[in-house]
Amino acid sequence: MKNFLTLLGLRGRLAAMAIVFGALAIVAGDPYTGAHASVDTRQLALDVFEEKDHTSTEQLAGWIIEGRNDFRLLDVRTEQEYAAYHIPGAELVTIAGLAEYPLRRNEKIVLYSEEGIHAAQAWFLLRAKEFSGTTILRGGLEGWKATILFPRLPDGAGAEEKAAFERKKLVSAFFGGSASVGGTASATPSVEMPKLAMPVPKSPAAQQSGAKKKKEGC
Amino acid sequence: MATNAAVLESTRPKAAVHTASKATPQPYMNSYLAGIGLGLVLLAAFVIMGRGLGASGAFSTLVSSGVAAIAPEHAAGNPFYSEYVGDGTTSPFKDWLVFEVIGVFLGGFLSGTLSGRVKWMVEKGPSITTRKRFYFAFLGGGLMGFGAKLARGCTSGQALTGGALLGAGSWAFMMCVFAGAYAFAYLMRRQWQ
Amino acid sequence: MTAPFFKFGYFSEDIGLVLAIVIGIGFGFFLEQAGFGSGRKLAAQFYFTDMTVLKVMFTAIVTAMLGVFWLGVAGVLDLSLVYVSPTYLWPQIAGGLVLGAGFVIGGYCPGTSCVAVSTGKADALVYLGGILAGIFVFGELFPAIEEFYISSAYGTLTLPEVFHLPYGVVVFAVVVMAIGAFAAAEWGERKMAQKKENKT
Repeated sequence: MKNFLTLLGLRGRLAAMAIVFGALAIVAGDPYTGAHASVDTRQLALDVFEEKDHTSTEQLAGWIIEGRNDFRLLDVRTEQEYAAYHIPGAELVTIAGLAEYPLRRNEKIVLYSEEGIHAAQAWFLLRAKEFSGTTILRGGLEGWKATILFPRLPDGAGAEEKAAFERKKLVSAFFGGSASVGGTASATPSVEMPKLAMPVPKSPAAQQSGAKKKKEGC
Repeated sequence: MATNAAVLESTRPKAAVHTASKATPQPYMNSYLAGIGLGLVLLAAFVIMGRGLGASGAFSTLVSSGVAAIAPEHAAGNPFYSEYVGDGTTSPFKDWLVFEVIGVFLGGFLSGTLSGRVKWMVEKGPSITTRKRFYFAFLGGGLMGFGAKLARGCTSGQALTGGALLGAGSWAFMMCVFAGAYAFAYLMRRQWQ
Repeated sequence: MTAPFFKFGYFSEDIGLVLAIVIGIGFGFFLEQAGFGSGRKLAAQFYFTDMTVLKVMFTAIVTAMLGVFWLGVAGVLDLSLVYVSPTYLWPQIAGGLVLGAGFVIGGYCPGTSCVAVSTGKADALVYLGGILAGIFVFGELFPAIEEFYISSAYGTLTLPEVFHLPYGVVVFAVVVMAIGAFAAAEWGERKMAQKKENKT
């Protein structure tokens, strides 16, 4: 054996070593198995204090419209709620299933729930496991409805607000919502809630075809 | 190990040996041993820092800071520059890649000194003037800078680092680097041969 | 799991910068030892006369890949804390082609040009100036090409995920491919050397 090795020379010996380690790799399992959890409470507190833990609904809407997919959007509500409506591109994850869900620590992750409590809890769990790019959607799905799907121009708005509202109208139309002018805030829910059914058939289909197109590029 | 490598190197074809300098520089290290050394440095970066090696990022910091010093508003309005300049809380030069590249200069000088290869000269083939060589060097550097920014990294950051971590984009990038270089090699043959 | 040390907070960012210099010195040292301080040696790769670039690069990749894999499997290195740059397919393909052209025209890449400058190559200094100019042009054009720059984003995508293969199988495939490439490179170098001898 020793003679055989000396016969191989330096190159041969190095190659043989590489082959052995490479071949053993086939049966060695997956190297991505880290399940470490440590909490830097000061850093978390600082991020919350500096508002680094949020993504605004406008920002998220912008990303979706641009067709960016360098972020993951996670819906941590129930299956029924998800089936009734979800933001295009969102993935359904239960908080219990979060630990096993395939996520990367260097990914941008946006979480949302109905109002934000579940999302905040999921945010803490993920941050504890060093998913440092995790943020919460500001205002949750309620905020999404109020600012993106059904924006409202209050009575007596200034010119600047009106101009901004024109943009909001387009965004709202993109997501299958509708914008409205005037009226009081208290009347909002009764007018808007029925309309919420509208984007449901539209968005999943649009989202699927969009996702498929991108994957073909590979 | 090193003497072993030197012996191996000296038995190789003379065409591969550096002939331009008159001093007696030592032959280069065996390619595979140098590669293993480079790989272990890269591995050390992964284990110690959790990141790979890079080079072009440091130059982006330099350019962005330069633009910010001359035209601060222009730099602030451009997302590319402002990312490298930062929010002003720390100096943009207090950056990992900047320090790493300083190390690369030092390490190259150290190695060159030890092997007697430090010499003021111009690298070119015999059939091209120095002036032309400088034009090509500048043009090539420009393409390299542009391409590296477009691909989010150069041969160090993408090909080496991403290659070792099996990044899909990095491997696609690596293949394209070789494709691009071989495609232009024929046009450039008078510069090198 | 105790590595990556920095991500586990074993030392401060300032210490990290000192380590950056140390790691950089190692990087520069082996680049120079490999012969990458010479533009002609680098460019020879593209004329099949000297395949050092391929040999050194792939040996380094295989070494680091095996190291990362085995440290990950052994539970020493938490690989999910190591930064893998995200895939933006088309910008990376276009960037790779442009960069490859720049490689053979200029004779260096950014890392090797640093080593070449520190060993006294005047053309590498000009080349460095070119890099800065290229980055400046990119920065000025950035608003116009930003859309392309962020297009075809796949997030952090690895080859095992693309081919739906276990990580270890891809590791083995890369090792086999690299050794095949080395054998071909050695053969090619001998052929080219013979050809040159026949000419003279």
